[in-house]
Parts: sequence; structure tokens; C-alpha cells
Amino acid sequence: MNIVVVNMVIPVGQGLFPTGNDLSSIILNILWVVFFFSMILLFNQRLQIWTYQRNVEKATIKLQMLADKSREEALKSVQKYAQENTDVRSQVTAFLDFFTIEPVDRDPFGVLNRLEHLLDNRRDRFKAFVAQIAPKAGKAEAANTEDILEAAMALNFIFKVVRHYLILGKKTKSLMIFVQLDMQLPLIMKMAEAYFNAQKTFSAGKPIGDGLGPLVASKLMYGLPKRIIAEDIVCSEVDISNRKAYVLKAEGPGGLLGKPGEAVKRLVEEMSGKVARIFMVDASSKLEGENTGEVVEGVGAAIGDPGPEKYKIEEVATKYKIPLDAIVCKMDLEEALTTMKKEIVEASDIIIEKIKKAIVERTKEGDVVIIAGIGNTIGIGQ
Amino acid sequence: MMQRERQPKFAMISILLTLGAFILFVLATIVDPLSNYSNVLMIAGLALLAASWGIYFIGGRSLQRAEISTENVITVIGCRGCDIREERPFSEGDYVFKEVGPCKKCSGISYIRAIYSIPIKKD
Repeated sequence: MNIVVVNMVIPVGQGLFPTGNDLSSIILNILWVVFFFSMILLFNQRLQIWTYQRNVEKATIKLQMLADKSREEALKSVQKYAQENTDVRSQVTAFLDFFTIEPVDRDPFGVLNRLEHLLDNRRDRFKAFVAQIAPKAGKAEAANTEDILEAAMALNFIFKVVRHYLILGKKTKSLMIFVQLDMQLPLIMKMAEAYFNAQKTFSAGKPIGDGLGPLVASKLMYGLPKRIIAEDIVCSEVDISNRKAYVLKAEGPGGLLGKPGEAVKRLVEEMSGKVARIFMVDASSKLEGENTGEVVEGVGAAIGDPGPEKYKIEEVATKYKIPLDAIVCKMDLEEALTTMKKEIVEASDIIIEKIKKAIVERTKEGDVVIIAGIGNTIGIGQ
Repeated sequence: MMQRERQPKFAMISILLTLGAFILFVLATIVDPLSNYSNVLMIAGLALLAASWGIYFIGGRSLQRAEISTENVITVIGCRGCDIREERPFSEGDYVFKEVGPCKKCSGISYIRAIYSIPIKKD
């Protein structure tokens, strides 16, 4: 019976596309046409959705794994400095959803002052939280713990956003949501992996690629007296070819950024604007194809803050007509957030030579210059 | 670091299997002596297509596991008084410009000159 049915549907001896006039050949041909058009017209988009959805689901599972692992890593780091019998887990888990609302910019007047105020609030809340849950941590350890929590928060946020769009795509059965998400996944995953690896580096207190600016400043000021010039910023006077250079950086070796804009502003105001040049050294994101550790010169305030610190430097430089020189070292996001590579360490010596040469060429003997090493100073003392 | 791109060799095998399935379907249809075996050829073609899909999806996953890299972090120790240079693996608590006791060569102050990573790829 089965053989008869099979022979009717697929006539043996006539191939898959029979040309005979018998009933079974006609039925088979009709079935082929129906199958073909149903695949093209009815199930085509379903198949595409299924393929994209599958990719997004896999990525979401991986992001969840990274977010969970980073939360555990944060807990482990906090527990080292926590009091016994403290419920660290619930406090840290709740803190990972901490958010900051950006100031309204429809009326842009004073928006940077308002942003700075909010960023100060945010930093104070972070410091207070770490002091509360990890009271045994010293200044450097507390700063590193703040960075560890920042990385865990970033991963938690990325995971939640991707999961949101996955669920939204499933609910609406929208191919567009899945396509857009799938296209962006390589960059999203790269970013998530960068934060995940960064957290390990922060836990160990190793210097990161973004610490290039502080490393350059430290090499110039090592062994000289230092003073605190602004929040978490140290400054030294260095003689370079009979010019007085004020070198500043965030106070290490904890993971601090400080307020370099405020420091530059105070220094310039202290000297009533009699500063010949301001040199800024920072890490810069490289374009694909560029080499890590490549040193490039330009003009402007080389600082990647959300705005307030950069604004202060630009404002004070404009007020006193002080030229701003920028020297940057190229690296990608992962290299900026993870352990400093050998190429970047080598670039710091090249930058010092470039600064010394520029000072000799662009200033006169007896002039005053400011050299600001911008970046996270984790793992770099002074 | 993990990548989402599939390895080219898996993509090539997948394409070759799909081509093989296509050729089988065409043979079963247009070559008369083979038309007696159309059922067998159809099943073989479908099996090739299934294998092609399997390789395409599973091949991508195996790459994610393959390209995990780790790093070797080096601490470089120098001296304020002489040009001695020593290297050792990074240990927790190390930071650049940390003073680490007297120099072995000149008894000056030795300090950590640099800390950097050298990537090592694992299979």
C-alpha cells in the first residue's frame, strides 16, 4: 500500500519533475509548484526571522553569562574589604541598576554646569556606596572597586538592552528589529567583551591602555615634590630646557580620573594666564587599519570626558589665548580598558621626546607650560 | 577574544555540499538512465542539504570556543641609580613607580618601571 502511494506521488522512472500526462505526474508537479510558492511567499520571512532570532538569542545568552560573571567578580572584589555579616550581594545587585539622568538640553544655557553637578553627585554616590559596603578598602582599593562596579554596571546594561529588543522582536514578530540587532551584534559583543576583560584588569590593579597620559606625566614628575591641585589631581614642577613645566595627572595608583580640567583652569588662573602652551596627552580610539601605539599630534583639548572638564580647558585657553597642543596614542576600546600593551608603554617614551622637542621649538626660555596626562591612572603611581 | 564570523573553511564546505545536492536534483530530473533512482537521489540530496546547514551553524559555534586568548603580564624593574633592568611576572600589588627595595647592583632605590601585557593565543 505504501509503495503504491509513494509511486503515485513520486513516479519512479520519471524523475522528480515528471513530464508525463498521467495523474501522478500532474499531482507531483502541482505539489512542487505549491511547495515552491509557499516557501517563497509564505515562509520566506519566517525563515529569515528564525535565523536572525537565533543569532540574537545566542548573543543574549552569552551577554547574560558575561553580566552574571562580572557581577560575581564585583561581589568577590567587594567582599575582600567588607565587614563580616554584611549582605553585600543584595546591595551590589541593586546598585548595578543605578542610573544618571542627563540634564535637559532644550535650553542649552548652563548645561555643562548642570552636567558637572550631576556627575559630581554620581561620583559622590559611588564613593559613599563603596565606603559603606567595603569599609576596609584604602583609597586605591576603593577607587579600583568603583571601576569594577562601573564595568559590571555597563555589562548589566548592555545585556538588558539586548534582551529588551529580543523580547520586543519576538512579541511583534518584527524582522526589522532582529535584522538591526543582528547587524550591530559584532560591535555590541566586542564592547561587552572589552568591559568584561577590563573588570579582570581592574580587580588586579594593573595599568590599562587609557593610563597612557598618566604614565607620561608620571615619567616626567617621578622623584619630584607633588601637590594636590584639584580633586584627585597631583601636580609637579619640572624643568625642561629652562622652561618651567607644570605636569599634572590623576593621583595613582588607584583607578581615578580626577578633574584635570579644573586643575588646568586653576593653574592658569594662578599664573594670571601667563602660560605659553598647554600640552595634553591622552589615549585616542584608533580606526581599523591603524596601528596600536601610533603617536599622533594635533591641536585641541585631548580629553574624552562627557564635557565639563574639556569645556573648562577650552574656556581658559581661549580666555588667555593659550595654544592647546594634543598628543595622542592610538588604541581600540578593548586595549584602552585592558592591561596596557607593550606598544603603548613604548609610545609613552616617544611622546615624552615629542613634548620636549615641541617645548624647545614652540616656547622661549623662561616660559611656563602645562603638561596634562589625561586618563585612568589605575596601576600607575607617581 | 571571541568572534562571530564563521571560519571560511566551514562556509566553503557548506557551499560545496549545497552544490552537490543541487547537482543530484538536476541529474535525477534530466538524465534518463538515473530517473529510476530518483527517490534515492532525492533523499541523498536532502541529506547533503541537511549536512550543509548543520556545518554552517555548528562551524560558527566552534570558532567562538577556539579563539580565546589570554595575556602574559610582565613587571619591569629598574633602578634610580643605575641601568639595571629586570623582568618578572606581574603580582598583585604591583604598580608603576612603586619602590621595591634596594638595587641588587648599586644598592640604589629600585622601582617598577613598567607593567605591560603580551598576548598569548590559546588553541
